[in-house]
Amino acid sequence: MIYQYSWLILLAPLLSFVVIIFGTRMWDLASRPRATGASDAGHSHGHTDAAGHGHDDHEAHGDEHDSHGHNDDDDPKVPVLSWGARFSAYVGIFIMLASCVFSWYLLLNSVLNPDVLTYAGTDLTLHWNWGNLAALAPYAISFHVDHLALTMLVVVTTISLLVQIYSQGYMENSAGYARFFSYLSLFTFSMLVIVFAANFLVIFVGWELVGLSSYLLIGFWINKRARPDEDRPSPATAAVQAFVVNRIGDVGFIIGIMILFWKTGTYSFAALSGTGPQSVAHAFAGDSTLLTIAMVCIFCGAIGKSAQVPLQIWLPNAMEGPTPVSALIHAATMVAAGVYMVARTFPLFAASGSTAFEVVAWIGAITALYAALTALTQTDFKRVLAYSTISQLGYMFVGLGVSGAVDPEKFGAGPGMFHLFTHAFFKALLFLAAGSVISNLHHATHEEVQDMRKMGGLAKFMPITAITYLVAAFTISGFPFLSGFYSKDTIISLAHTNAATIPSFYGIWVLTLLTAGLTAFYMFRAYIVAFGGKGGKYAGFGGSREGEPELYRGVGTPHEAPWTITLPLVLLAIASIVAGYWFGLFSYLTPRAENISFMEIVTDGWTWLGVFIAFAGIAWAWNLYVRVGWERVHEVVENNAVLRALHRLTLHKFYLDDFYYWLTKYVFLGIAHIAAAFDSSIVDGIVNGVAGLVAGLGKGLRRTETGKVQSYMYGFFGGVAALVIIVLVLVAFTQGGVKNLW
Amino acid sequence: MSILELAHPTLNHFLVLGAVLFCIGLYGALAKRNAIAILMGIEVMLNAVNITLVAFSFYNTVKPFSTYLTGQIFAIFIITVAAAEAAVALAMIISIYRKRSTVDVGEINLMKW
Repeated sequence: MIYQYSWLILLAPLLSFVVIIFGTRMWDLASRPRATGASDAGHSHGHTDAAGHGHDDHEAHGDEHDSHGHNDDDDPKVPVLSWGARFSAYVGIFIMLASCVFSWYLLLNSVLNPDVLTYAGTDLTLHWNWGNLAALAPYAISFHVDHLALTMLVVVTTISLLVQIYSQGYMENSAGYARFFSYLSLFTFSMLVIVFAANFLVIFVGWELVGLSSYLLIGFWINKRARPDEDRPSPATAAVQAFVVNRIGDVGFIIGIMILFWKTGTYSFAALSGTGPQSVAHAFAGDSTLLTIAMVCIFCGAIGKSAQVPLQIWLPNAMEGPTPVSALIHAATMVAAGVYMVARTFPLFAASGSTAFEVVAWIGAITALYAALTALTQTDFKRVLAYSTISQLGYMFVGLGVSGAVDPEKFGAGPGMFHLFTHAFFKALLFLAAGSVISNLHHATHEEVQDMRKMGGLAKFMPITAITYLVAAFTISGFPFLSGFYSKDTIISLAHTNAATIPSFYGIWVLTLLTAGLTAFYMFRAYIVAFGGKGGKYAGFGGSREGEPELYRGVGTPHEAPWTITLPLVLLAIASIVAGYWFGLFSYLTPRAENISFMEIVTDGWTWLGVFIAFAGIAWAWNLYVRVGWERVHEVVENNAVLRALHRLTLHKFYLDDFYYWLTKYVFLGIAHIAAAFDSSIVDGIVNGVAGLVAGLGKGLRRTETGKVQSYMYGFFGGVAALVIIVLVLVAFTQGGVKNLW
Repeated sequence: MSILELAHPTLNHFLVLGAVLFCIGLYGALAKRNAIAILMGIEVMLNAVNITLVAFSFYNTVKPFSTYLTGQIFAIFIITVAAAEAAVALAMIISIYRKRSTVDVGEINLMKW
């Protein structure tokens, strides 16, 4: 059966990682002239840049010292990419293309022919059970493919493929070009380990690999400094933060896994969710509280990885990485891991009753609203998208939670996975479009512009980027008949339906509806401020109307991106529209699950309430930023005490980040100081004390070493005599007297 | 019990002789300051052991001595090794005497902390 060999897809990115790191990258480094080598490329950037682009660079250098300062710590560039570097990209793309085609074949084959792969799935032939040692059987490294894995698989490989194609254009002339592509492959491999994992141990290994890859990629621009004026940390700091915050969630994850293993003796998903003696249903019979605790602990891992409140702070800062990485992290490989993991362990959650699911749903709903409120006032183009991701991930958890809490069999993990599936495409599109803007503005202004206030009217300069971004913005807002409409509406209406059983879900329903309106507002705020503006002709595509000031507020003249960038945008725009038409997904994922139907959705009045709220958001954004203009809006907000306070509140993320910094600085650091003092005085004290004691003894005992041979002889013969006496005494006591010795 | 019977040497006589000789040798090795005297003490101890070995072998009642000469052969080995040891030790003593003009072991104490 062909599905047993889908480990080829799993190992393919690892292969390209190895080939790039040990092959083409070495070739690239070897062929690079010494003068523009990686070590001093940061300093010689000015020269290489001038050599690469010609004369127009010098103007920017002359008048603005500040911009020069920013350029100085930019990504080191090489004037011309070597063939080694280019082949790094080709290797990654070719292998990923093959994987992607194979994945789509596997998915379509199993969708069209339900018999080829059962719901239980099949184990891959790639497994290692430690040389058949029975004692190590629970710790086997084994992989499994089923419908859920296949659904995720196509998302990961497709997004990864498009991101790699895109990165060719985005990372042009970067000195770390080959390394970048190797990391992308490693990232994809890590995620595929999670996708194919058949037990908790393997998924945890993949989990940590994803953490490592994201660390490497977020901190890819190691030379870049922090920009306190824009409230942006350095990539290195952001990478460390992402890593550390994820570890906090992982503590819970590990504890949850340990509780499950302690009670059941197995890590295998199949065994845990089955009906045998090792299943949770059997092992936790009559103790669903402990199982609930275990599942909430496991969900903590998802909170960290999927950036849910209260561990959401790392994701916006992860924006410091290159934009293709952001797209990969947000669409397919990193934050989706949390949702996928909960979907994977859905039967275990279901076995624990509804409480764990309610926790999941509430965390998701609160996160969705929190992130949407924060996104309202962000001025960084990418950060708006980061918060929208957090918000949409919240939706996914709401989908999983409300579906499982009432009747886990009815929809299964469908609603959450459906939104994950559609979101992957439009979020990747949003990020890649944002990356296109940033890259093109970098060409035009010679500095990194991510502040929307320095953009405006970009639709005229880069129409393809603008249109594709607009499609994605409509999709994420839930515009009717685009993919986001179906997946998001399913979740909202499910929350409403299931609220009849669990009344607290009415709260979740209201939160998600509110979030839908806010989402539409902030997405169109970002679109209008960046691509359009007040007084634009044909919604900004025709430039500004006569008599109106120029819409573009930056310097230079931006241009549309090359085809390597626009091709993925167009493909993703198409995918964002059509991905929502897979109505059979629910029954594909879960046996006997009900599918959503087109007629049910469009004839449901609540659907149109959601759409109305979304339209209200769009209209309000149009009103504020096209009719009034953002300068005027800003003025009004600044002059009104209440609005100003609210603005500050959301701009500073409800001071949650500041609270964490305070907590870290004064509480955790204080505890760390106490721990350090304990370590240096008590722990080290014991060790040093023992060492001092031994040293002192040695100092005293060495006096016995006189150098006189006769004193040694005294010791020698005295020792023998003592031994003889001891033997005699022992014999006297044990054998009943010395005389018995003879 | 006649005097001859009393004078007839038994195993114990030889063991007592060996022990006495051994203690004399030990005393010499421990108490003398002269390195050559110490060497002589050691030789006395070795010979005390030889006497014991030969006596045990001779008075062996379990097996006839004609078939088992272990003790005697052992004694010959010890005599051989003792000769070699004496040669080495005397050479060392001469060498030390040339360097330091003394054979008093109380003053030969360089090998210390």
